[in-house]
Amino acid sequence: MIAALAFYVFAGILLLSAAMVVSARNPVHSVLFLILAFFNAAGLFLLAGAEFLAMILVIVYVGAVAVLFLFVVMMLDIDFAELRGGFQRYLPVGLAVGLVLLIELGIVLGGWKLAPDAAALRFAPNLAGAHNTAQLGRLIYTDYILLFQAAGLVLLVAMIGAIVLTLRERHSALRQDITAQQSRSVRQTMELIDMPIGAGIGGSGTTGIRRPAAPAPAPAAAPAHADHGGH
Amino acid sequence: MLYAVAVFAPLLGSAIAGLFGRAIGDRAAQAVTILCMVLASICGVTAFVQLVYLGAPSGMVVLGDWVQAGSFHVSWALHYDTLSAVMVAMVTCVATLIHIYSVGYMSHDHSIARFFSYLSLFSFAMLMLVSADNLLQLFFGWEGVGLASYLLIGFWYDRPSACAAAMKAFIVNRVGDLGFAVGIALVFTLFGSIEFGSIFANVPAHMDATYHLLGHDWRAYEVVGILLFIGAMGKSAQIGLHVWLPDAMEGPTPVSALIHAATMVTAGVFLMARFSPVLDYAPGAMAFVTFIGATTALFAATVGCVQNDIKRVIAYSTCSQLGYMFVAAGVGAYQASIFHLLTHAFFKALLFLTAGSVIHAMSDEQDMRRMGGIWRLIPFTYAMMWIGNLALGGVFPFAGYFSKDAIVEAAWAAHTGIGQYGFWCTLIAAFLTAFYSWRLLIMTFHGTPRADHHVMQHVHESPPVMLVPLALLGVGAVVAGFVFRDQLIGADWQAFWGSSIQIAPGNHVLRDMEDLPAWVTLSPSVLGLLGIATAYLFYMIRPEIPPRLAAAFPAGYRFLLNKWYFDELYGVVLVAPFRALARLLWQVGDVTLIDGVPNGLAALTAGGSARVVRLQTGSIAVYAFSMLIGLVVLVSVFLLFLR
Amino acid sequence: MMNWSLAVPELVLACCGMAILLFGALMKRRETFHLASMLTIGAFLITAMLVIAGPHGLAYHGQFVADSFSGFVKLLVLAGSAFAVVASLDYNEHENLRRFEFPVLILFATVGMMLMASAVNLMTLYVGLELQSLSIYVLAAFARDQLRSSEAGLKYFVLGALASGLLLYGISLIYGFTGSMQFDQLARVLADPARVSPGLIVGIVFLVAGLAFKVSAVPFHMWTPDVYEGAPTPVTLLMGTSPKVAAMALLVRAMATPFGHLLGQWQQLIVLVSIASMLLGALAAIGQRNIKRLMAYSSIGHMGYVLIGLAAGTPAGIRGVLLYLVTYVFMSAGTFACILAMRRRGVMLEQIADLGGLGRRDPVLAMWLTVFMFSMAGIPPFSGFWAKYFIFTAAVQSGLWALAVIGVLTSVIGAYYYIRIIKVMYFDEPQEAFDPRPPSLSLLAAGSGLFTTLFFVFPAPFVGAAETAAKVLFG
Repeated sequence: MIAALAFYVFAGILLLSAAMVVSARNPVHSVLFLILAFFNAAGLFLLAGAEFLAMILVIVYVGAVAVLFLFVVMMLDIDFAELRGGFQRYLPVGLAVGLVLLIELGIVLGGWKLAPDAAALRFAPNLAGAHNTAQLGRLIYTDYILLFQAAGLVLLVAMIGAIVLTLRERHSALRQDITAQQSRSVRQTMELIDMPIGAGIGGSGTTGIRRPAAPAPAPAAAPAHADHGGH
Repeated sequence: MLYAVAVFAPLLGSAIAGLFGRAIGDRAAQAVTILCMVLASICGVTAFVQLVYLGAPSGMVVLGDWVQAGSFHVSWALHYDTLSAVMVAMVTCVATLIHIYSVGYMSHDHSIARFFSYLSLFSFAMLMLVSADNLLQLFFGWEGVGLASYLLIGFWYDRPSACAAAMKAFIVNRVGDLGFAVGIALVFTLFGSIEFGSIFANVPAHMDATYHLLGHDWRAYEVVGILLFIGAMGKSAQIGLHVWLPDAMEGPTPVSALIHAATMVTAGVFLMARFSPVLDYAPGAMAFVTFIGATTALFAATVGCVQNDIKRVIAYSTCSQLGYMFVAAGVGAYQASIFHLLTHAFFKALLFLTAGSVIHAMSDEQDMRRMGGIWRLIPFTYAMMWIGNLALGGVFPFAGYFSKDAIVEAAWAAHTGIGQYGFWCTLIAAFLTAFYSWRLLIMTFHGTPRADHHVMQHVHESPPVMLVPLALLGVGAVVAGFVFRDQLIGADWQAFWGSSIQIAPGNHVLRDMEDLPAWVTLSPSVLGLLGIATAYLFYMIRPEIPPRLAAAFPAGYRFLLNKWYFDELYGVVLVAPFRALARLLWQVGDVTLIDGVPNGLAALTAGGSARVVRLQTGSIAVYAFSMLIGLVVLVSVFLLFLR
Repeated sequence: MMNWSLAVPELVLACCGMAILLFGALMKRRETFHLASMLTIGAFLITAMLVIAGPHGLAYHGQFVADSFSGFVKLLVLAGSAFAVVASLDYNEHENLRRFEFPVLILFATVGMMLMASAVNLMTLYVGLELQSLSIYVLAAFARDQLRSSEAGLKYFVLGALASGLLLYGISLIYGFTGSMQFDQLARVLADPARVSPGLIVGIVFLVAGLAFKVSAVPFHMWTPDVYEGAPTPVTLLMGTSPKVAAMALLVRAMATPFGHLLGQWQQLIVLVSIASMLLGALAAIGQRNIKRLMAYSSIGHMGYVLIGLAAGTPAGIRGVLLYLVTYVFMSAGTFACILAMRRRGVMLEQIADLGGLGRRDPVLAMWLTVFMFSMAGIPPFSGFWAKYFIFTAAVQSGLWALAVIGVLTSVIGAYYYIRIIKVMYFDEPQEAFDPRPPSLSLLAAGSGLFTTLFFVFPAPFVGAAETAAKVLFG
């Protein structure tokens, strides 16, 4: 009874806050509603007995992802009025599509019929007595090792992508390259010149100290093609 | 394997000359193609000798898979048995000689590399045809020689007549090819395979199969035989589908010698021999083959007697000789038909090349009425023409004597009504053959010179590069007969042919040929000599007889001169109605309907296109919504209509 | 049983990818792009050999399968990806994109596609798909200084995320109603069509929608023209070849194996999508002036034809699908190689009008492009004709006459714009000649051109392999 009540409370708040995420006027409020939604989802996980997932959701999504969102929203200058205009323009279509989909899902619910052996086939950790985290770990690292590794590759690709799309090597910034400094020899660094007496250093064409050659600036990006746009 | 080299070396030569001809120059292109042909002929002859005399096993050379679709399985493979090996050896040898001859004949042309490339391409396709291991590959070669023939007839594409002749050859051949293609399909439905090995192995199994067609049950073998023969009729210019061959003389003379005398036109005969295991059980189809062959032999010989173009005379002669071969095939003497095919290849190529040499000497004049009196000026060519004529006329001991007499005897020995018809037709044709051969010889070389003196001043013997092939072919025309007679059609023919020609148990034609009435054996030779004498009388002693005859029988003369009005008949019966139909289709069907509907559709399409493209705004939101709407539509379709 | 060795090709390729990544990151020199590309091609070759030599079987608790179908698809995917790397060699050099991450990302995308080819579990399907998609999102935006490229990457990403959402929703519906994600168990559960609930059907529709997005079938195609046009051309080549193959293979396996008994239910769905794709591909391409956009619509149309084979739902149909994909990969790669050669004074050109007079300026390039256009239009004897032939025969055998007729009609409309390109090349006013072609592009164009031209001579090995692969799906 209490569990059922808790479920409806969590689910209700979850839906409400999800609706608020897309409809709140202030983007900071949107993110805050998102965090609320995460918390409620974590609550649902708890009710289902998946404590580990609930904790992960709170730690990763609330602790890291949502906070990052908050930073981004607060730091970037986005014209929210314009975005909102788009939202209102597409609202009728969206509502219509959503309504139809809802009705159809209602029909689906009406014909609710599980395959007879569905329950038997469902994956279940088969370590009776072990706690949730251990069971999860047992499944991930044995039965699902291939998918686990593949998911790791997905993350690796995401990392590469983030670096490729954002990292810029700034050649204007002065950086200390210790390896290069250590590996320079005396000959590369200094040159002894016999100066004729009284001639001064201006005419010899050298400054006496050699510096490593500056890297050539990257060539300008090719001009974008003139003809662009949908047609 | 030598055999594969013999088949593919010409392709290599053709590819090099055709693709790089401009880069390497005419000389190099000639050298490459001739070298490849020489290599091919050495390999071809070696393969033949190995198989027939050194006891190499027959079999097949598999090159790779071609089509594999369900039960339909075809590979690229070369069939290696006596029939194929004989043909390969003959084709490579004759083609090599003609390549060499062409060096001299085509020396003044602009596009020598192209010519040699086509010539080698033709040789390759012909070799593919004769060495095919299945019907599809044979059809590939069949169409390949058709294509090469089209290219070569129209080689001088700036002459409208050459282009028209090329198209005529191609289109007439299509009619035959349709029959052939349907025949292949029937063979496949009947035997479940188109590979020769499995077809011939299963011949007894389908002896009583029938097709229900036009309210009557036809024996399957008869239908298949007639369809294949229709293909052969087109390629081998038998009466009805012969109209392209005389026109094909528009091509350069070496082409006429190679394609329209020695090789391509004999493909039909080859097909008959190849299918001997099936045909021998189709007496109706065989009778049809005999009938057409005999009629063609007689018909073409009569027309040849009145033609004035030197090459056309030889073309009709070819037509007639092909008729002989079909008579032999039709009465079950396949060995004799292939024997005549071989000897004919030598002496007819010789005749064509000699004619080419004459034309070369007479500054490209082909009309015999403007020749004459040149035999002292070009004695070698003259001698070669004699040899060719003696062989063609069937005079002992030249090649034609053995092979032609064998066919006439076989027709008698068949002891059937249709065999008698074939016998009498070929007998009369033998007389006519000798007559028109010597008519040609006398009109061309003897009498008073009828060309103007400019031409006569320039008459000269051809260069050695043209004469040497002539001499070699001449040797062939003399000896091929008595060298091969006993092996090919003698009592122990089976030792030579192996399993490549299989005849029904009841077929005793070859054995019966041994004991015939004496008059039957002698009559062809006698009639041949009579023909020579008549020609001598008409054109040498009393030259006024022919014009008087023509004046006495104007209708008959015009009938022959206009080749039995075949072209006119086709013009009225086929070409004119088709032209009218085509005009109707063009003006009503094409301009109004076919152009109108697409133009309307195109306008509609363009409109639709504009509407579709307008959705493509570039906005992510629109795209996302269109995806969602699409999804909803699909789900709704499902839930509402497909439950 | 942990028969892990069945996944050796994927494991080796992934390890190679990480090694190349390490190598590129540790080498300080700038010229790592070429070397990394070569290493990537080498890795592809090794993987291809492992795929050919590898054993067949089911592994990882029914999440991964190696059979002739997956082998066929994997080889094709590897070929497409290798083509993309070859095509990028010169382009990235000129466009200032020479970074070693480029081939590495293609490599990881390929790992994803190979996983997709082997997926016999909805989870494997999803993870493979995400690995492939994520890599390609990044690749599409690789020219980050160009607005078009970043816009293409963003669009593809956002819409792709939506499609993934649909896919996941579909998967969860299917799981919820049947209790399994494994294809063989699903097939067993669904053996009796009477037991199927509408929820499951909706799940299948969502699944198809997610996969249809990846093969850019209508109505989930909207991203295609914009992304094709905006992405760097070698990436467009990649998107036009291997991901299409992998996603189509996935769709085929997912429809044929677990839902094979429900053919009556999903056949109409595929028929609808196929007709819409063929029509749109034929109609919308007509007005295009940009050849990359044209190729986008062309690929939509081609996917419509491929779906005919799936709709037939027979081994012959699946064989047609595989053969079509083979010929499509080669035609498409060859066409893009020709497009990549359109460079004048160092500037890439993309307008069809820029091809004017190519027949005289560069007859060889014009010849190959003509071959590809004829083949795409389905004109014999080029491979495109045979592909269509196999597909249409399969459709007719299954009684889908209407589909075959529409296919023929739309390919007639399609021939119009393909042949228009040939007309521009040979009959329009000559323009200034293109810059000299690099050997890599000549090789790519000539190789695929030869394949396209000579396919009809030796189709037997491909037809045979496709037949074996198709039969696997039908037990």
